[in-house]
Amino acid sequence: MSIDPTLWPKLHGASTHFPVALAMAAALFEGLGALWPNSSPRKAQLHAAGYFTIILGALGTFPAVLSGLFMTKGRVLGHDAELFHHLFVWPAFALLVGLGVWRALVGEKASPRGFSIYLTVLLITAGLMAGAGYWGGELILNS
Amino acid sequence: MNHSLEKRAVDAELARNGNSETVRAKLLPEKRALLWALLFGAASLGGALLMASPIQKMSTWPFFTGASSSGIAVSPQLLAQGAGFFAQSCGDCHGDDGHGDEGPDLHNLAISDARIASQIKNGTKGEMPSFAKKYHDPEISALVAYVRTLR
Repeated sequence: MSIDPTLWPKLHGASTHFPVALAMAAALFEGLGALWPNSSPRKAQLHAAGYFTIILGALGTFPAVLSGLFMTKGRVLGHDAELFHHLFVWPAFALLVGLGVWRALVGEKASPRGFSIYLTVLLITAGLMAGAGYWGGELILNS
Repeated sequence: MNHSLEKRAVDAELARNGNSETVRAKLLPEKRALLWALLFGAASLGGALLMASPIQKMSTWPFFTGASSSGIAVSPQLLAQGAGFFAQSCGDCHGDDGHGDEGPDLHNLAISDARIASQIKNGTKGEMPSFAKKYHDPEISALVAYVRTLR
């Protein structure tokens, strides 16, 4: 008895889009929330959306990374497009988990300075996730 | 998060507890949160990288490779035959060692034996020729068995 060898690519494909999309959505919500006028109730709503999306995004990285490791048979770098994919994925993974933890613990109690740093790192992470997604797509298209 | 949220939170806490230092310490756990964030981020990354080696070992188990699903009995003769076909027809594009050249790297392919066989038989328009006329099923099985050894 053995498992279908296409299981891991399927699972990776199914799970990996969640953290990519959620990291970018969190950056969008938090960025818009920061720009929105203080008087508007929409500001708090945008930050609340950013809060939940980053936490879900951080949680979503674990199945994506695990299925990816099984798919590549434990290869952490690889060659060509896979190498580029991994060079984006690994820092993005650590940053996304860290951001999710920080946001979950701090909640609404962030100082303006703390939140600015958080937002900057979040934008960098969203960019890294986009890069990881791009090179992941290149891997699929070229295989 | 922003001035108004922080101010509202501080004001609400001040109404309950008049000591502003205590309130600030309670409401701004950022440094502690940062330590936890760094810890979790590093532990997650470290954990994933540490798991790579056991996963590498596990992935050679027949249960994970799905090697038994094709029903091909892999013998040294079959592998030698597959290696010969590979050198003859595949090495030019995929590299003599299968690490890829004009064509992709064939190591650790995460596709089934049937899909590899189909790719050899049918090729991909504009990218890879069909080998259906050159190789028949037994030869393609030898090629698949050889490609599976590329790890």
